[in-house]
Amino acid sequence: MSIIYLLIPLGLVLLALSIWAFFWAVRSGQFDDLESPGMQILLDDDRAPPPRAPESRDV
Amino acid sequence: MDASVASVCFHCGNPLADGALKVWVAGIERPVCCAGCEAAAGLILGQGLGRFYEFRRQPLSVAHATPRNWSIYDREAAQRRYTHEHADGEREVSLQIEDLHCAACAWLIENSLRHGPGITQIHVNPISARAELRFQPRRIALSQILGRVHALGFSARPLSFAGGPSAFTAERRTALLRLAVAGFGMMQVMTYAVSLYMGALSGIQPSLEHFLRFVSLLVATPVVLYSAQPFFASAWSSLRAARLGMDVPVALSIGAAYLWSVCCTVRGRGTVYFDSAVMFTFFLLLGRYIEMSLRHRSGLQHDALARLLPDSVLRLQGERAERVTPDELRAGERVRLLPGERVPADGVIVSGRTEVDESLLTGESAARVRSQDDDLIAGTVNLTGVIEMRVSRVGQDSTLAAVSRLLERAAASRPHIAEVADRVAAWFVGAVLLLAAGVGLYWLHADAARAFPTVLAVLVVTCPCALSLATPAALAAATTRLARSGLLVSRGEALEQLARADRALFDKTGTLTRGNPQLAEVKVCDPGISSTRCLALAAALESHSEHPLARAFAHLTPAAGLSGAHGEPGRGVEACVDGVRYRIGRRDYVLEGCASPAPLADLAADDTASSVLLGDSSRVLAVFRITDTLRADAQATLRQLQTLGLAPQIVSGDRPAAVAAIAHELGDIAASAQMTASAKLARVQGLQQSGRRVLMVGDGVNDAPVLAAADVSVAVAGGTDLAKVSADIVLLGEGLNALVGGVETSRRMLQIIRQNLAWALLYNAAAVPLAAAGWLEPWMAALGMSLSSLRVVLNALRLLKVDVRPASAAPVQAGTVLRA
Repeated sequence: MSIIYLLIPLGLVLLALSIWAFFWAVRSGQFDDLESPGMQILLDDDRAPPPRAPESRDV
Repeated sequence: MDASVASVCFHCGNPLADGALKVWVAGIERPVCCAGCEAAAGLILGQGLGRFYEFRRQPLSVAHATPRNWSIYDREAAQRRYTHEHADGEREVSLQIEDLHCAACAWLIENSLRHGPGITQIHVNPISARAELRFQPRRIALSQILGRVHALGFSARPLSFAGGPSAFTAERRTALLRLAVAGFGMMQVMTYAVSLYMGALSGIQPSLEHFLRFVSLLVATPVVLYSAQPFFASAWSSLRAARLGMDVPVALSIGAAYLWSVCCTVRGRGTVYFDSAVMFTFFLLLGRYIEMSLRHRSGLQHDALARLLPDSVLRLQGERAERVTPDELRAGERVRLLPGERVPADGVIVSGRTEVDESLLTGESAARVRSQDDDLIAGTVNLTGVIEMRVSRVGQDSTLAAVSRLLERAAASRPHIAEVADRVAAWFVGAVLLLAAGVGLYWLHADAARAFPTVLAVLVVTCPCALSLATPAALAAATTRLARSGLLVSRGEALEQLARADRALFDKTGTLTRGNPQLAEVKVCDPGISSTRCLALAAALESHSEHPLARAFAHLTPAAGLSGAHGEPGRGVEACVDGVRYRIGRRDYVLEGCASPAPLADLAADDTASSVLLGDSSRVLAVFRITDTLRADAQATLRQLQTLGLAPQIVSGDRPAAVAAIAHELGDIAASAQMTASAKLARVQGLQQSGRRVLMVGDGVNDAPVLAAADVSVAVAGGTDLAKVSADIVLLGEGLNALVGGVETSRRMLQIIRQNLAWALLYNAAAVPLAAAGWLEPWMAALGMSLSSLRVVLNALRLLKVDVRPASAAPVQAGTVLRA
């Protein structure tokens, strides 16, 4: 069972890494908006991007 | 609702006047209501973003045809205030966007702007209604960005640059981090705990047991110190206020379990309870996180202050006059106000005389005369004269800020039933602490080794969390559900009142009717002029009027060559077209301007319509009969409210004949005509004194005080800003029928709150004896308590999922109810 003395500390290192990664993700805004990205997949299509709006358009 | 019927605008969902404009969408011709909506829809479609219309949840508000001038934001001072310059020369700015309701709107704005020049980064968050963007000032100016958002039919306003996320986002992030730490920690500690339990049963090396305990301690420490910190803080602050809050037993049990386990670990004997403490923390945080998300989603962005201030103001410095934003004003500065401008700050008139619309504060639409040394209040409207004022209070000190703080407090107010739950909880907590102490004393004598785990189990199992989550979770879920169906709730209390209302008073114009007048008939009185010419003249003149009836002419092509228009609010407009002076408006106003009025006997106002006259300086040229149609679902809504036990009544300021006709058309419901605002108020108070709970539905223009007096008030969209802030609930869509769903949802909400409270009490009553008898281990107690809290939250979530009975009034047969 002595392998456990190695595996558990390894597990703790992984735990620390994943918590660090999660903190990074939250602080860089990855979780601020969980709604629009889901919508984007429906709205964006594979066609070429729309032509750029001309600089002066008469609206 | 009946959006498929082509009688509403494709862009904003407003009802259409005849001869409306059209846009082409995917080869199909769609009608739009006005030039503004036509331009916005054209812009959206022209950029290939037409899919927006398939995915949006609500129609947009009416797009305004007249572009506003934003160049004020391009000045150096404004740039410094609103934007932040990066090293590479790009600038960063945050915009608050009004009318942003769903992710599709956010997508639309993002994509439309991203493809334009000069914008390097943009993100629009639909939950906080904010756009964060970076742009290259050499290629695009801030004013152009604002103009582009505006052209899509939204209105945007830059926020003073603060840097970092908004308070709202920060709260969300912290809650998520705490939850994550607790979640990761719980997974680990549970693994170790299972090993320890197995070891206790089948034997374990003492050194391994020791090791597992130390590792558990290591992992549990951040959970208790970081994740559970809000519970300790809240318990401490309630203790300092000499109250027993919900969090006192929570903090006590987490703290005690942790400290006891630390002692046991260090001393190397006794049982550890890291698993219980960590699991308890995680599930409590989970319940609160769900509740917070619901609350954020349903929260109205109350920003009345900024919305009511003008975009720009003319500041006088010595001889120099300069346009600045209201944010830049300081006390003591002088400002010149032109007719029609909003007052930017509190102040005193230095010179000039004018009439001021103070309906914002008083609810009275009649203008007040103000002259030198009179006070002016920010957000009111200068109607007629040019005045100079000296600013006395700005920003957070102004009256408007005080008013909006009051509104915020009202929005934060909790329903009566939540307060009762809190009061009950305080007693409950006291009882729990006494009980735990009693149980502890008993077990110390009976079996000292069992004393601590039993006390811990009692503390954990009786945690009144389910009790404290019962109401807010249901409230947040109901608010979210209603927001989806087009009802915005601005006060929590309102839903409870809505569920209990038993009388419904309706205003007529703009509420039961569309408030969208239509031209029914043109009578030309002078043989020398064609009806086409009369209509063109009328359209030209009415384009300078703010009166609701003027909208009947909005779709017509106005005659060219108009000059010198000036209006008398509520009476009419006078202007020159090709050198001839014309007047349009009320009968007496037009006749005043005529030298020899023709006999008008055959033009007497008829019962259901209003008439507008057009005349020149010698005679009356034409009479327009204008009608206002009933909303399509008015009759059905009233009938369904009746079946729900809310007896509807019409209270209107209109003429008796017109009101009677409408009441008959709606199915002979009770109606009172010629009611002034004070008469309506008396009616509401009379009903309240006879023990009725009154729901008042209005458009909010003349009835703001009445809305405020009713137990619960609903304003119909398209009402003024004032109505939006003074009513408890705002109807966003074009129909009234969401109201029926609102009443049903609010009643279901009360029902669910009662179920939740009953469940929480029942669970505690059953679990406490078991725990006190020592039959429950602390981890079982933590699990039971957590499941009970989650059950309460999930029960509240049913409000989101189950479809409220479709609004056909006939009782639906059992079994077919929830098929939708």
